[in-house]
Amino acid sequence: MTSNLPLINIMFLMITAFAFPLIKKIKYIYFFSYIIHILLVISTLATLMFVVNHGAYALNIGYPDTFMGIQLYISHVEALLGVVFSIIFLMVVIFASSTIDKEISENRIGLFYLLVNILYTSLIGVIYSNDLFNAYVFIEVSTLSACGLIIIKDKGETILAAIKYLIMSTVGSGLVLMSIAYLYSITGHLNILLSHNVIVATYQDYPNSVLIILSLFTLGLGVKSALFPLHGWLPDAHSSAPTPSSAILSSLVIKVYMVLLIKIIFRLFGLNIVKDIVIMDIILLLGSAGMIFGSVMAIKQKELKRMVAYSSVAQIGYVAFGIGLGSIAGLTIAVYHIIGHALTKSSIFLISGLMISQNKSKYIEDLKGIGHEMPITLILFTLASFSMVGIPIFPGFISKWYLSLACLELNRISLILIILASSLLNLLYYFPIVINGFFGKENLKGRIRKSKKVNPYSLFPIVTLIILMLLTGLFSGRIIDFIALSFA
Amino acid sequence: MTYIILLPIFFPILSGIFIRLTSQNRLKPLLIISVILNFCFTIFVVSYFPEAAVELFEFNNLLFFYFSPDLLGKIFAVLVSTLWIFTTFYALDYMSHEKKTNSFFMFFLATQGITIGIAFSGNLITLYLFYELLTLITFPLVIHEGSDEALRTGKKYLLYSFFGATFVLFGIILLYSQNNSLDFMSGGMIGILSNEQLPYYLMVYLFLFLGFGVKSALVPFHSWLPSAMIAPTPVSALLHAVAVVKSGIFSLMRITYYVIGWETIEQTGGNKYTLVLVLITIIMGSFLAISQKNLKKRLAYSTVSQLGYIMIGLVVFTPDTLTGGLLHMLFHAFIKITLFFCIGAVMHYEHKTELAEIEGIGKRMPITMTCFSISSLCLIGIPPTNGFVSKWFLAIGGIKSGNYIIPIILLLSALFTAAYLLPIFTTAFFKGPPIRETVVKEPNNLMLIPIIILTGINVFIGFFPNLVINLIEKLSLILY
Amino acid sequence: MKGLLTNYYETAAIILFGIGFATLMLHSNLIKKIIGMNIMDTAIFLFFIAKGYIFESQAPIIRGELKTVYAYVNPVPSALMLTGIVVAVTTTAFALALTIKLNEKYHTVDLDKIMEMEGDKNDE
Repeated sequence: MTSNLPLINIMFLMITAFAFPLIKKIKYIYFFSYIIHILLVISTLATLMFVVNHGAYALNIGYPDTFMGIQLYISHVEALLGVVFSIIFLMVVIFASSTIDKEISENRIGLFYLLVNILYTSLIGVIYSNDLFNAYVFIEVSTLSACGLIIIKDKGETILAAIKYLIMSTVGSGLVLMSIAYLYSITGHLNILLSHNVIVATYQDYPNSVLIILSLFTLGLGVKSALFPLHGWLPDAHSSAPTPSSAILSSLVIKVYMVLLIKIIFRLFGLNIVKDIVIMDIILLLGSAGMIFGSVMAIKQKELKRMVAYSSVAQIGYVAFGIGLGSIAGLTIAVYHIIGHALTKSSIFLISGLMISQNKSKYIEDLKGIGHEMPITLILFTLASFSMVGIPIFPGFISKWYLSLACLELNRISLILIILASSLLNLLYYFPIVINGFFGKENLKGRIRKSKKVNPYSLFPIVTLIILMLLTGLFSGRIIDFIALSFA
Repeated sequence: MTYIILLPIFFPILSGIFIRLTSQNRLKPLLIISVILNFCFTIFVVSYFPEAAVELFEFNNLLFFYFSPDLLGKIFAVLVSTLWIFTTFYALDYMSHEKKTNSFFMFFLATQGITIGIAFSGNLITLYLFYELLTLITFPLVIHEGSDEALRTGKKYLLYSFFGATFVLFGIILLYSQNNSLDFMSGGMIGILSNEQLPYYLMVYLFLFLGFGVKSALVPFHSWLPSAMIAPTPVSALLHAVAVVKSGIFSLMRITYYVIGWETIEQTGGNKYTLVLVLITIIMGSFLAISQKNLKKRLAYSTVSQLGYIMIGLVVFTPDTLTGGLLHMLFHAFIKITLFFCIGAVMHYEHKTELAEIEGIGKRMPITMTCFSISSLCLIGIPPTNGFVSKWFLAIGGIKSGNYIIPIILLLSALFTAAYLLPIFTTAFFKGPPIRETVVKEPNNLMLIPIIILTGINVFIGFFPNLVINLIEKLSLILY
Repeated sequence: MKGLLTNYYETAAIILFGIGFATLMLHSNLIKKIIGMNIMDTAIFLFFIAKGYIFESQAPIIRGELKTVYAYVNPVPSALMLTGIVVAVTTTAFALALTIKLNEKYHTVDLDKIMEMEGDKNDE
């Protein structure tokens, strides 16, 4: 029973999603969403426990033998990511119940929760799936539902952002499908493990094929995860969406494609095959460029949410950097960074949403003195930005540290400078907000102070996420050891 | 039970938060009780836990937070908590007219805890954590004034500090990947190098030295220090004469004598490069001090130059220079804090900040300015003051190691020191139109008494330097 | 060159893909972009299905008696592409719906013009 939970999760979310538009009272919608997401947290935790006790396992759907049916494969990384995702979704849903009615019209709230559920289904689908075509379908579902979450505000700019996102994503999924077709024509399988066996046996006969497949996958998934320089759609999409949507999009959606890329590199090809391929260096290069460029662009932004969105481009750079190193240490820390950053970035987006709605302005300029109105919120923001800047014990520091060690393992000392430069750049755009927020006074003149009271439904999720972020930093040793079990 | 050694670190932080939450009227007694208690804790820990070590937060079996106060750390901790008491009394008067004193004193107290955390750190990663925290926690103190200029200065301070910390982190990572250990060991942990390893460790050393050098105002990374003088005077006195810059120096001592090891550094030859920077720091600091018209900036550049003296003990490897450097670290802390207190008193009561404005102030504040003069003489190093003792050791060490340039630079810089300090008290006492009836208006006792006691300590140590020298020489012998 | 001619299905698919990709990227008219998107998708379907075709084999539908496996083409790509077509149609429908919405708000389907109206957001 427990071993079937991943499948049950996917089905359960998919089916319950369509109940939301049917519920008339908004209060019940909120209540229903809490129940669903709490159940999901419990069930992903049970999956994690199962994996801890029994090790990684494959789950065949439909046919008992692997050859015909679709297969899910749950190893330590997948189980852990499942838990992280479910917790973040739960927190975002709780947050949404306190603010979403201000951002979108009332009759769309049911639709919003429907899309959240569908998006969630597709994300864990991509993570669990061991079948590439199945993963492709989930990717498409995730794109469409993510677009839905962006346009739900029904304003010109959101639709524009969504259509940009949709077009870029279509290109990306086209490339992914193309590479799946190519892979299928060589191996005759869509299952990752079966394909792997064929590739290992025959890859020397098709030297270019591995290159082509991997580059198509990298391009396709790179577009979707906003890998520099394919990130053009991200700032618009993530900054114009409603706050809970941006939190999910920026912390989870773009990461999922990176997880898939990790699976392709590690499980489909294996590090031995890819290590001599030029694509790995290109991923590394794009990652490095993203780390620097994303931060530089973030510094130039005037709107808070756009700044945070560009910061995500930089953070995806870190993940790509870890993947591009092409070593087990690099992949492990890439996964760790996905988790750490997912927790950090989701809380940053939620906080930004709160600050923007309190301040009635989306510009960074106008946030001066916000700390006098929202001290707790800004303290939480400060903690999150410590992680981005890389103060010790925060997950951002751990990522930097292990990425650097991974570089040294490969004798590439100069790469460390890129990591450090990027974290210094992070300082340049996160700290001014904190500083001006606490110590700036200009905006307070002639202004009615609003009450310091914050809705507990808004604050609780953020506090939880920040605490989890701290724990991720503190117990990083164990988490990284756990992740490494998947790459053994 | 050994967890008690964490008390001097966490007690000030917690009491700071407590003070922030209580009302303004109970601030004074709470604050005084808190610093005195923490002084007692520090003394208690220092005297009763000779070999204690505590481990917190194990990340993995190589990376963890580890506290183990040794002799050097204990000296630094006692120095810090002693000076904190004086500064607290002084600050209570100085800040009495300001707003937001509660949050000011919260950060003020927390800074003490973090500085002692630096002192007690048992490995480099713990030191690094507290070093970063020190930047963050002192930041609100620096920009306390809240004006735009203060904010700009604060950003400069942050940027310099984090830039330095990034260098440090780079060095630490390089070190860790080779040794898998960052614990402090007297004599260093690397030992004799083979020829292929030399460039690597030279790089490690230079990165660490330059990184920590930012906080200890090494030229060319010194310019944040004079800018940070925009902070209230107690902060300038304590942080920029003692806590922050001395933490930088302290960290440099840790890497030089406890992590890399002086023999290893000598083998790489890295200290030749850093010696040049240190000498430039001494000369340039004094030069720039002479040209400053603002009193606090003048003292700030003086700090830059004096920190260079201390750093001689870290780049010329003889027991004498180390003794001299350590002595100067202690003496300079006491002297510079006194000088800042005097200038601060003038600023606070007479609202005068420039050299030209203080004409005749010696007649209004005779005791304050006398204390200033005495301490200036100590800093210049005229025998038999404490400044003379430390410089003597530095010069002897320089000659013994064959660096004849050191005594020359020291003499030259002593001249410069005289050139920038003497005008202050000649202006104060002898310049200006003779006023018949000058009302003597000394500062409040809360301010005056710390100044007098500190001056007394300066003079006393000048006459009986052996009390301190014995202790410091013991430390130098351990390290050589 | 010979390889390209022998595998003419694949060649055609790649050429179509290029056309679609270029249309998608180069035109600013949203409808044309969506057409390009469809061409691209179709190219992939062609490619995929061509991979499943075995020369001189029948469609995998049993009429009369069952022949050996080798007599039929591979049914899996066709089945997969059925899903692919569904996905493509959904995406197209969604994109068209968005285009209609945009047309309502901005009275044009030209992406560049819409961008101009929105004003640049200080990047690039």
